[in-house]
Order: sequence, then C-alpha cells, then structure tokens
Amino acid sequence: MTVTAHPRPSAVAQAVAIAGRSVRGVLRQPPQWVPSLVFPLFFNAVSAAAFDRTRALPGFPEVNSFLTFLLPATILQGVLLGATAAGNDAAVDIENGFFDRLVLSPMSRVSLLGGRLVGSMALGVVQVVFFLSVLSVFGARLENPLAGVLVLVVVGALLAGAVGAFSVSIALRTGSVEAVNGFFPIFFAALFMSSAFFPPSLSGGWFETVASINPITWIVDGLRDVIIEGWVPGAAARAIAVSAALGVLAIFMATRSLAARIRT
Amino acid sequence: MTEPILAEGLVRKFGDLVAVDGIDLCVAQGEIFGFLGPNGAGKSTTVRMLTTLLSPSAGTARVAGFDVVSQAAQVRRVIGVALQDAAIDPIMTGRELLKLQAVLHGIPRRISRERGDELLARVGLAAAADRRVGTYSGGMRRRLDLALALIHEPRVLFLDEPTTGLDPTSRMALWEEVRRLNGEFGTTVLLTTQYLEEADQLAGRIAIIDGGRIVRKGEPEALKDAVGSPTLRIDVDPEYLARATEVLEHFGEMRPARSGRLAIGLDGGASRLAEVVRALDAAGVVLNHMELDAPSLDDVFAEATGRRLEGAEETQAPVEVSG
Repeated sequence: MTVTAHPRPSAVAQAVAIAGRSVRGVLRQPPQWVPSLVFPLFFNAVSAAAFDRTRALPGFPEVNSFLTFLLPATILQGVLLGATAAGNDAAVDIENGFFDRLVLSPMSRVSLLGGRLVGSMALGVVQVVFFLSVLSVFGARLENPLAGVLVLVVVGALLAGAVGAFSVSIALRTGSVEAVNGFFPIFFAALFMSSAFFPPSLSGGWFETVASINPITWIVDGLRDVIIEGWVPGAAARAIAVSAALGVLAIFMATRSLAARIRT
Repeated sequence: MTEPILAEGLVRKFGDLVAVDGIDLCVAQGEIFGFLGPNGAGKSTTVRMLTTLLSPSAGTARVAGFDVVSQAAQVRRVIGVALQDAAIDPIMTGRELLKLQAVLHGIPRRISRERGDELLARVGLAAAADRRVGTYSGGMRRRLDLALALIHEPRVLFLDEPTTGLDPTSRMALWEEVRRLNGEFGTTVLLTTQYLEEADQLAGRIAIIDGGRIVRKGEPEALKDAVGSPTLRIDVDPEYLARATEVLEHFGEMRPARSGRLAIGLDGGASRLAEVVRALDAAGVVLNHMELDAPSLDDVFAEATGRRLEGAEETQAPVEVSG
C-alpha cells in the first residue's frame, strides 16, 4: 500500500452509490416494503367491495369500477408507506453512527441527500408499476394507458421524493426512528382528508372545505382526470406541479436540517 | 514539513459544560500519539473536532495542514477515522461497505477492488467479506471499521478507543495492525484510549487528558521516570488502615489508591521492601496483599490529577508480588 492522491470524487457517482445502498437496504428488509404493497391493495379491495354502489350517486365521477376511482389513493398510500423508509433509514444511520462515517467522507452534501431521495423515487416508480399491473388485472382502466402510466409514474416518483425528503428532514432534526414514525400518521390523516377515497362534494360540510384546500386533493383530482378522461394536459400539469412543489418544499426542509446536523 | 496534527487553544463547550478546555497539540509525521484519559475526559470530543464532526467553540486546529473549520472538505479527504462505536451499517456486507467507502472517496473501481480485497485479508475478514455485517462479532466489526478507515490510504488516522469492549486476542491483533501501518507506511496515528497498557504499548508520545485539559504530555518512559520512586500498594482490613498509614508515611509520599488500599511512592525502591514489612509487622498490621510496581502511566495520571484512572489497577501486571 502506497499513499496516493485520488481524483476529486464524483458527486454523481456518490449519489448513485447512496441511492443503490438505499434501495438495497429497503429490499433486504421486507418489513419495510411488503406492507407498502400489500396494505394499499387490501384497503382498495375492501373499499371497492363496500362502496362500489356509491358510483350510482349523482355527482360521482363516471368510472367503470370503484377500483379505477381508487387508483390514485392506492398509489398515494403505497408511496406514503414506502417513502418513509428513507427517513427511518436516515434515523437508524444517525443512531448507529453510520451517518458520521458518511459525513466524514469527502462526499458532497447534495449527494448525501440526493442519493437517498433518488432511492426513494426509484422505489416509488416500482410501486406505481406494481399497483397498476395488479389493479388492471382486476378491472381498473386507464382511458389513455400511455398518458395515464406516464403521469402516474412521474407523480409517484415526485411524491416518493417529497415524502422521503420530509421524513429524512425529521430524521436529521431529531436523529430518532420513533420521531420519524411519529410523523407518519400526519401523512395518512392528510390523505384521508382529501378526495382520495370519496368525492368531497358528496360529503359536504367541513370535510369538503378541508379537502378543497388539501394539496393532496389537487394531486388526486388531477390524476383521476387523466385516468378517467385520458390525456388532459391541465389536469396532468396540476398533479405534477403540486407534487413537484411539495418535493421542493420538502427538499428545502431536508437541506436545512442537514446543514443544522452537520454544523454542530 | 507541516505537522499532521496541530491544535492551539482548542475549546468545546456544550451549553455551560466545557468538555475541552484549551488543548494544545502537536503530532509529528509518522508518530503514534496516544490520548489517554478516563471516560468523559474530553478525548472523543477532541477527536470529533479534529475530524471536522464538531466545530470548536474556540481555538484552531489544522490536520495535514488544512484548517478543520474553513477547509473541512480537504481534511476529510486525507484522514481515516474509526470512531468509538464501530459505525457500520448492519444490513450491508463487509465488501459492499468497502466498495461504498471507495466510491465516496473517488477511488477508481479497479483499484478499490484490489485494495478492498487486500484490506479484508489483512484484517482477517476475507472469509466473512460477503456476509452481512449484522452477523459479525464485536471484534470483526472493529476490524472492518479499521479497514473502512484505511481504504483511501489516509495520511492521518484517528482511532477513537479502538479496542474498548474487545477480547484480549482481538485487542492484540488490532495493536499489531496499527503498529504495522505505522511502521510500513509511516501513517500518523492519533489514538485515544482509557487503557494504560494500550497507550504504553503503542504510543511514542502520549498526552494525559482530564477534565478537558492536558495534564501531562511526553514520551511514556520519560513521564514515568519523572514520577520517580516505584509505587508500593498494600491491602489491609479497614481496622488496620490508620495504623498502616502511619507506618507507611515514614517510607515515602502517600499516593492516591483505590478504596480500601494504601499506596506510597517508596523512597529507595525495592531495597527497602523488607524494612517496610518489618515495620508494619511491628505495628501489628496484618497484610492481605502487597505489591511493588515500577512507576506506571497510572502513577503519572495519579500524580497529575490526584486520582487513579478508573479500573487502571486491574490492567496493571505487578512486577513483584508478596504478602
């Protein structure tokens, strides 16, 4: 062994290595990804069986099956469940000291954060493809399959990145797995208080008000328009733009949290 | 040539607590420098500042010529660090972790593969390289941690209590590897430890730290020589403590000892041992145990702080035992 000078590390190679580690870490821990695939499908099946006849209500979107109506909700549930793994992993790294080892290497801070989020987004894409494949077998339909798949995949990836960044931000602030898991119900409450499971206009009252200002409703409605009506540029743009905006906000928070943790 | 580690007036506060209180340090090229002190003395905090993990509250430090605050990125490229708790992801295999570490340091794939294999063999983990780290024993994790710290051939290596919790065999193996690194490649090593024997065996120079301050600094032998006379320790039942103290005071200066024991710096050394035994016997003191140790780093620590290093007496092998 002789002491040599190495070239400046590539930020892209570092980010890819961290993303690979994130994906590998999730895949090697089935409890982290199995529920994110199984529970949304289970919930979807139960809801479709229980509420299928509500499609006949005046004002309910015209869909061939309740499964189609619930497609955005299924994808969002899966992404919420799956992407919090990024925060969990970050908190575990902090707790067991591996985060210090990463910080002690000459890796760029962008790679440190970006690698994890790319890993989350990759898993988000896999989830979307999985749900679309399974639900289409049971009758869910996309009016324009190409546009539908494309928009769902993009939104799935963006939301996985956003939720991943938010959970990583909590992990970096607190260094605690419990704290990351403690925030999870908030994501789910936000999903339930949206148009994901039932049209708010048919519920009325405070629920309709809350759902109308919930960004998740804006994403779900955009996705649903693309699923039911086919290529609707305005709807696709709305779903993508809101997801991207949430992502930017979450990444901003995660960047601040990372800076605060490193500058100790 | 620039000193690999140079710190001046280094201070770190956590709220009102001053963990490191004005440390000056100069470690020369190719040196193994031992940082010896009890738990909570400020050893790890100092290492965390020198390795850019913590910002100093005051003072300056340069590692390999780079300022640890304003040139932290450059510092990270030339240091290797094995922290107190082996910081290893249990989900990955040893080989995967080495590969990851190599990418983070920008080492080309071909070189990293060769070097990774070489390091795994050297730390005795070649056979376990493709097993997940979660299945490794404590000693294996420490050795992998050391390999991770070495993958980029660092100019300065920081080892923070590298053998704490290890069995004697693993401890010896790690000492051997540190000696080899230093001997063959001239790697400068800063090693923190709470084990007297470790500092004595490995370090060319040591600093003894207590309460965030360096209380003694120098070569172990010189520090021990400065203590002077060997330490005579006796163990008696509580009813004899006062009488024994009275006798021993005639033979040298009382030194700090573990509870229930007495210790003196025996003027005249071993030649006066028989005289001490006779005097104690004449005073009616019944001895349970007696030992005479050449001055140790524990005596240096005791002389500097008025206390014994926690657990130190158990780690010392007496040179002469009777009673």
